[in-house]
Amino acid sequence: MDQIIQVAVLGIGLGGVFALMGSGLSLVFGVMRIVNLAHPSLIIGGAYIAYWGFKLYGIDPLIMLPVCAVILAVTGILFYKVFFERDAKSATYSEMTVLLTFAIAMIVEGALGAAFSNTQRVTSPVYATDAFFIGDVFIPKGQLYAGIVSIVIIGLLAAFLKYSRLGYAIRATTQNREAAALLGVNVNMVGLMSFAIGIGLAGAAGALTSFVFSFFPAKHWEWVAVLMSLVVMGGMGSILGTVIAAFSLSIVAAFVGTWIGSTWSTMTFFLALFLVLLFRPQGLFGEKPELV
Amino acid sequence: MSDTMQETSAVLEARKAYNETLRIKADQTRATWFPITLMILLMALPLLQFTGNYNYMLHMVLLTASYVAMASSWNILGGFAGYISLGHNVFFCIGGYFAGMLVARYGWSGIALAPLAGLVAALFGYAIGLITLRVRGPSFIISSIALVMIARLLFDHWKFVGGANGVTLPPTELSVQWAKLPYYYAMLFIAAFTVWCSYKIKHSKFGLGLRAISKDEIKAEAAGIDTRFYKVTAFALSAFFVGMTGAVWGEYLTYIRPSIFLVILIAAYMVLMCILGGKGTIAGPVIGAILLTAFNEFFVATMGASELNILGTGVIMAVCLMFFPHGIVGTLARKGKLPKILNWD
Repeated sequence: MDQIIQVAVLGIGLGGVFALMGSGLSLVFGVMRIVNLAHPSLIIGGAYIAYWGFKLYGIDPLIMLPVCAVILAVTGILFYKVFFERDAKSATYSEMTVLLTFAIAMIVEGALGAAFSNTQRVTSPVYATDAFFIGDVFIPKGQLYAGIVSIVIIGLLAAFLKYSRLGYAIRATTQNREAAALLGVNVNMVGLMSFAIGIGLAGAAGALTSFVFSFFPAKHWEWVAVLMSLVVMGGMGSILGTVIAAFSLSIVAAFVGTWIGSTWSTMTFFLALFLVLLFRPQGLFGEKPELV
Repeated sequence: MSDTMQETSAVLEARKAYNETLRIKADQTRATWFPITLMILLMALPLLQFTGNYNYMLHMVLLTASYVAMASSWNILGGFAGYISLGHNVFFCIGGYFAGMLVARYGWSGIALAPLAGLVAALFGYAIGLITLRVRGPSFIISSIALVMIARLLFDHWKFVGGANGVTLPPTELSVQWAKLPYYYAMLFIAAFTVWCSYKIKHSKFGLGLRAISKDEIKAEAAGIDTRFYKVTAFALSAFFVGMTGAVWGEYLTYIRPSIFLVILIAAYMVLMCILGGKGTIAGPVIGAILLTAFNEFFVATMGASELNILGTGVIMAVCLMFFPHGIVGTLARKGKLPKILNWD
C-alpha cells in the first residue's frame, strides 16, 4: 500500500510539471491553431537560463522563474513577428506552421547545442536532492516544489482566462475567431498576447525543469512527443483536458516505471496517444471548444 | 432520347480524341532524354575506378541516390496526398533491420533482400496507417513523431537486435576498389525505380485520387473516392521504397544501430528535400535531395559540428517554408519558367 501511495506521489509531482509544459502549448494551439513543435525546445532554452543563473550567480531557479518567463515571452513575441504573422490567411496555414515550428525547433536546438554542447546538465539547488518523509512515503522536495509552483501557475492562468478582459478575448477567439473579430476583439493582438503567454509558460516550465530533469539540447524531441500526446489526449486546445491528461498519464507512467521498468515509462504517453487516435481522435474534451 | 444519347457519346469521343492529341503533344515536348542520359552517365561513372580511386565520389552519388529514393517516396504520401509524415525514417529502420538481421544471421545478401524488406516495411506502413491516418493535419504529424519515439525506445531495448549498440554485419569481400559497386548500382536502381513509380502513380487514377484528397478530403470522399483505402495504400507504398533503401543502406554501412536510422534529422531531410525541390512534383524531391546533400557535405566539411548542421538545416527549412512554399520546381512552374529538362511531371 505504501508503495502504491509512494509511486502515485511521484507521478503527481511530475504531472504538475508536465501540465505546466502542456498548458502553454494548448493555449497557443487553441487561439492560434499553431501546433508549436518548438515549445519543448524553448522549455530547454528556459532551463538553460535558470541553469546559468544558478551556476554563475547562485540565484535559486524558483526565483529565476519569472525572469525565464519574461525572457521567453519576449522571444515568443519576436518569433511571432518573424515567423507567424505573415501568412495567417493561407489555406494550409495549420500544416505549414507545424513544419515551420519544426524548423524553429531545429534552429533552437542547433543554437543551444553549438553554444552549450550536448552534455547533460541539471541545476542543483539544495532542495533538488532533499526529501520529506511522511511515514514511509518519501517525497522529493524538488518535485514537490515544482509540482506546487506548476499548479499555482496553472491556477493563475485559469483565473486570468476566466476573469480578465484579455482572458475573455482569448477565450472568445478560441471559440470562434470570426465571431470574436466581428464583436470587436482585436484577434491579431490576442494572438500575439496568447503566443507570448504560451511561450512565457514554456520559460516558467523550463526553470522548474532545470532541477527536476537533467537536460541537454536534443532532449526536446523526447518531450515533443510526450507533450503532444497530452495535448492530443486532452483534445487540441483544451487546457483543462491537457492538465487532466498530464496528471493521469504521469501517474500511470510512474506505475509503469516502477513495475515494468523505468525505460518504458515514457512509452505510456506514446501508447496513450495511439489509443486516443484509435478510439477518440478528437481527444477527451475535443468537441467542447471551451477553455478551463 | 436516343438522339441525345448519340450526341453525348459523340461529344465524349471527341473529347477523348482531343485529350489523346494533348497527351501526344506533351510527350513530344517532354525531355525524356535528360533523365535517361543522366542515368547512363551515372551508370558509367564507376568506370573511373580503372583510372584511380574515386570512392568518395561514388559514395556521394550513392548517398544522394538514397536520399532521392527516400524523398521521392515521402512525396507519394506528403506531396500527392498532403499527409505530412515526420516519422518516415521508421520504415527506413524497419527495412534496414529486417535485411540486416538476415544478413548477420544467415549471410544472405542485403541487396537481394531489399524488395522483401520493402514489403515488410509496407506491411508495417499499412498497419500503422490504419491507425494514424484516421486523423489529418496537425494530429497526424504529431502521431508520426510519436512513432519515431516508440520505434527508438523499442529498438534501443530489444536485445535480439542488439539494443542500442546494434549489430555488425559481415563486410563485403570485394577489394577496396570495387567494394562500393554493388551498393552503388543497387541504390541507383532503387532511386530510379522510385522516381519512375512516383511518375506512374501521379498519372494514374490512384494518383488523381490522392491529389483530390490533398485538396479537399471531404469533397473527395463525396465524389466517391475511397479515401481511407487510398490514404493507407499511399502510406504503405511510400513505406515500401523507404524500406528498400534502408535494406541496402544498412548493408552498405556494415552495421545497423538505432542511432543511424531513428534520428529526427533523417525524417527532417526527407521533408525538407521535398519542400525545397517542390512538394508534389516528380523532379522536386530529386533536385532537393541533390542540393541538400551537397549543402550538407559542404557544411560538414567547413564547419564540422553537427549542432551547427542542425541549425543550418532549420534555417533553410524556415526560409523555404516562408518564402518558397512551392519549392524550386513548383515556383518555376507557376511562373512558366521551368526548363524543359526539369519538367518530369
